Amino acid sequence: MTAENAVLIPRRSEVASAFKQQGGLVAAVLPIHYPRALLLAFNILPMEVWGPPRVDVSLGSAHLQPYVCSVVRNALSFILGGGLDVADLIMVPHACDSLQGLGSILLDFLPPKQPVIPFYLPRGGSQQGEVFFAEELRFLYQRLEEIAGISPSNETIMKSIQWEEVADELLARLHKQRGRLQFKDHDFYRLIRTREYLPAEDFIDIAQSIFDADYEGQQEGIPIILSGIVPEPMGLLKTISEFGARVVADDLACCGRRLYPAGRSEDPFFRMAERILGGPPDWCRGSPIQDRLDHLHRMIDATDARGVIFYNVKFCEPELFDLPDLRQGLGDLGVPTVSIEVDISDPLSSQATTRIEAFFEMIR
Amino acid sequence: MAEVRALGIDVGSTTAKIVGIDDDGRIIWHVLEQADPQVGKQVEKFLELAREVTPILSVPIEGEREIGVPLIATGYGRKLVHQATRTVTEITCHARGVFRELGHGGTLVDIGGQDSKVIGISPKGEVVDFSMNDKCAAGTGRFLENTANRLGVHLDRLGEVTLSTVEEVSISSTCTVFAESEVISLIAHGVATEPILKGLHRSLIKRVVAMIRTVGLRPPLMLSGGVVRNPAIPQILQEETGEEVIIPRHPQLMGALGAALIALELVE
Repeated sequence: MTAENAVLIPRRSEVASAFKQQGGLVAAVLPIHYPRALLLAFNILPMEVWGPPRVDVSLGSAHLQPYVCSVVRNALSFILGGGLDVADLIMVPHACDSLQGLGSILLDFLPPKQPVIPFYLPRGGSQQGEVFFAEELRFLYQRLEEIAGISPSNETIMKSIQWEEVADELLARLHKQRGRLQFKDHDFYRLIRTREYLPAEDFIDIAQSIFDADYEGQQEGIPIILSGIVPEPMGLLKTISEFGARVVADDLACCGRRLYPAGRSEDPFFRMAERILGGPPDWCRGSPIQDRLDHLHRMIDATDARGVIFYNVKFCEPELFDLPDLRQGLGDLGVPTVSIEVDISDPLSSQATTRIEAFFEMIR
Repeated sequence: MAEVRALGIDVGSTTAKIVGIDDDGRIIWHVLEQADPQVGKQVEKFLELAREVTPILSVPIEGEREIGVPLIATGYGRKLVHQATRTVTEITCHARGVFRELGHGGTLVDIGGQDSKVIGISPKGEVVDFSMNDKCAAGTGRFLENTANRLGVHLDRLGEVTLSTVEEVSISSTCTVFAESEVISLIAHGVATEPILKGLHRSLIKRVVAMIRTVGLRPPLMLSGGVVRNPAIPQILQEETGEEVIIPRHPQLMGALGAALIALELVE
């Protein structure tokens, strides 16, 4: 059964149009971490931009060095080609140097028609980091006030946070119980990636309907973990299924690395900071490699995964900096790994398919 | 000749190979040819040749697969071999073939016409890690082929000419096309052919060594693939790694042999 048969997955453009028709605004948000709840408290729908794939990259390439990753290249191309005209603002979190560069290009050289808001994440999860981040969120609040023309109360923001916490709890359950759901990997990721653009309430409805269906199956296949940025081209997931394997957990920036825990603070800004900084380890928040390694190891233990596919976007420097140590560390623990590099604009190459196939032959 | 019990075919980008093995996994028959872009036609030809050489051989033909000896296809064109009982990647097949030939694990470097690969093989013959260079010609046989053409040196003499000098110029371009331009520039400045060739070989090997380091060198170091016919390749690889380079008896047939050995398991 496909995701479309099981649940109706709305398209990004439809969701954005519907939200705007009801008087809301839309924010195009670049990867990776940002305060979804704060935007929604302003009645601004965050619409995440992971590339997207399949755009005319010549528009962005004219302004970027050849070694900039395809997520940033495609995003700039998409903006310049009018693909984000629906957005009322563009938010660029400083996840990496390339995204920071994109923010600078948009602010200083190629200003789009919408306001551009850069956004800084603290490196490291210390208490000082939380204080800094809460301040950054307060500053962001002021910028959003100017754009949206409203000033949501702390109570409104807290309500929005609580919706997000419920949605994230259901998202985490979907991740954990994926082996019992009726979705193949490709459909599962289409489903959970709706979190990139659906309001929390809508995502909750969809997730709840899946649990209500009470499907008690057991997916078959060689269990593997996927690590990287984004599962694009999504043909990868079909390839994994065709070779008799299945993804049992992931450490993808757009998915598993954003399973944020519920917050504790009564202050909404601190609570949002706590949640984002309390998520799984990630280079863009300065997590030590050992933390990432321990996290992967815990996932392997919990799922009996037989190996890890590092599925990286070419030229994603921070991801590639960590890669040799992660592979070495997992190798020392006897966990086989393979590294595949892709450009999200290209279809999965036959060479990449051969590597994946060889990896499954190795771990079968 | 003993009876062929299993067949392996390796459809590479530069050459296509078919190997027939006996009950003990020994190569008793093989064909090696330049690869034909029309893979299906070439495979048909190979199978016809197999029928001629071993009359008792009943190779799988369409619709009668069950009565033939098993055929495993590998190589970049493996999916186009419709007569194959199964397809297996060249990583697995090369490891299997070289383990059978040499009887030990280690690190296998296979430099083909259009890709190169490094495979870590356990003492039991299992693949434990691998790396492939498949997006750029700079670490492949094509790199040398292109530049040899530009220098007017026949491929068969490439190694001999390269090793005839102690002098060497550094080639800074890692891209095949740019390296060719660099070679033209060096010739224009009066640099002799031999030192240029030596620099080109070193440039190729340095890229391969980087792949070896990615996988991690597990001695002994083994080498297969078409470029092994060029004696400068193992020598410079040895210089760059400090490891003795072991070459199997049929370096170009390791993929096809591995495929045939996997096919033999189907019989057993």
